Amino acid sequence: MTGAGLALLLAFMVAAGPWLALHNPHDMSFQPLSPPSSEHWLGVNDGGMDIFSELLHGVRNTVVFGLMTGITALVIGVVIGLVCAWFGGVPDHFLMRLADILLAIPAVMILILVAAFFRPSPLTLGLILAALSWPTTAKAIRAQALVVKKGVHVQAARQMGASGAYIIARHLMPELFPLYLIGFAAKARMAMFMEASLSFLGLFDPSRKSLGMMISYALKYYYLDIWWNWLIPPILCLTLLIMTVTFLAVSLEKAFDPRLKEAW
Amino acid sequence: MKENPKRMRRGQYLLAYVLAALVMMVASYSVPRWLPGDFVTAMYSSSHVTLNAEQEADLRAYYTQRQGFGRYVVDFFTLNWGYSYAFLTPISGLISEALPWTLLLLGSAHLLSMILGFLAGVEAAWRRGGVIEKAGVGSMTILEGVPEIGTGVILLLLFALHLGWLPAAGAETAYVTHSAGRWILDVVRHLALPLATLILAYFPGNFLLTRGSMVMVLKEQFIETARAKGLPSLRIRYAHAARNALLPMVTRFGLRIAFMVTGALVVETIYAYPGLGTLLFNAISMRDLPLIQGIVLLSSLMVLFVNLALEFVYGWIDPRVKHAS
Repeated sequence: MTGAGLALLLAFMVAAGPWLALHNPHDMSFQPLSPPSSEHWLGVNDGGMDIFSELLHGVRNTVVFGLMTGITALVIGVVIGLVCAWFGGVPDHFLMRLADILLAIPAVMILILVAAFFRPSPLTLGLILAALSWPTTAKAIRAQALVVKKGVHVQAARQMGASGAYIIARHLMPELFPLYLIGFAAKARMAMFMEASLSFLGLFDPSRKSLGMMISYALKYYYLDIWWNWLIPPILCLTLLIMTVTFLAVSLEKAFDPRLKEAW
Repeated sequence: MKENPKRMRRGQYLLAYVLAALVMMVASYSVPRWLPGDFVTAMYSSSHVTLNAEQEADLRAYYTQRQGFGRYVVDFFTLNWGYSYAFLTPISGLISEALPWTLLLLGSAHLLSMILGFLAGVEAAWRRGGVIEKAGVGSMTILEGVPEIGTGVILLLLFALHLGWLPAAGAETAYVTHSAGRWILDVVRHLALPLATLILAYFPGNFLLTRGSMVMVLKEQFIETARAKGLPSLRIRYAHAARNALLPMVTRFGLRIAFMVTGALVVETIYAYPGLGTLLFNAISMRDLPLIQGIVLLSSLMVLFVNLALEFVYGWIDPRVKHAS
């Protein structure tokens, strides 16, 4: 419940962000390091940029990155999981070994390598992250699809002459729906966490506003008395964001996995 | 194939890890070589580091040399990792200085959060339904959603800057020679904040997971039997039940390792703890490409090694894994 409330608030911030921001976050024409005022709700940073506008754009960028990466990873995972479960044999074997290899590789290291050398766009980084993080979803989908495939109703549909495509579209895909939600929430959470961390480490384009980058810049001025209006807001936003997605992921898992529900 | 399923299974894992290591080495070898054009000028023109003509020529030679992959691998294993242009020293020296601090921080963080999380989880499941248990589960659920950046910066502001109890940066006080005892105390004081941040990040997950699996285990019939036999409750909890609740924690460790590496990087950077994470951060901000390459490859291989070791630990804790085909 709390998760849903927070999610609505954040969704509003993301959707209305550009209209709420009083200034262009790239506008550097204000008095640097000035304290909060009615004109600049959270003051101005060292580069003369309005912090509140930066914050709104940062939240938006993180959320967009997370959702996009989550959706891409989910689609790849679902397709590969279904292919493995449906066809079995060589493709199944090959793809599952590939999944084992990817599971063992720390994705963040590949991202750092690529980001440091090529300085790609956030879109490219998101796609790379998705391409590295599908295995868990694919494995879960595959396992459940194998169960459904053996189910009586699928056998019956086959007896009546249903084609493979029909069974996949009509039976397998809808029946695995809970797994999509769980997988998507987990991936989106991971992607937002990665985005914040990588931008904190300075691996994204510096002209792109992000919460991690704001924290990293503000931390350099911690000895000045401006941490409460510059450092705390992005931290609070990031924490709320990650917490919200975590709550959603956990409650989805609880709702769809009766074993877990019992434990609570 | 049928006569020894255990070895088959281990072999399969080993193969996956060897291939993963190979993928990382190929990636680290080929990424710089895919760069178009003269990237040395492009990269270093925008960085804080100014190169003199000789260094620039060296770097260009380093990246344009026709070094074979085999040579690269041999160089890697003989610690011949090249030369850092930002720090003007060999990379192997920088890494071997930073590595012990990272191992100290991460090792103690994982050890403590696993032991504490496990014990707290077992006890919480045993006292299920009590007020303290409910409060604990609630607060841990909230804490699990807080990223390391958040806890790290807040602990830094509170304990290092506002209260001034603990140092804000580094791993030991610089330019001071202490006696052995004072030195250990100094290191512990510097370790406290980053360690607390990491424990706050790892503890809730371990706690919730152990509690969850323990609740399920306590419903099993063999626990009823143990109770009926009149065994002391400590013995039931730990000798009978808790062993079974240990497995999910190990599994989870393996699945979350990519998360943890990222978090540890951030935490080290926040506290300027002189480990691999901070070194990597400095390398990134100075665009020291050979150094980034070295750290990335080394830490990936270490992660792979830990993951592989976990597979063996898993088989050791749970005999069923060994006997299942």
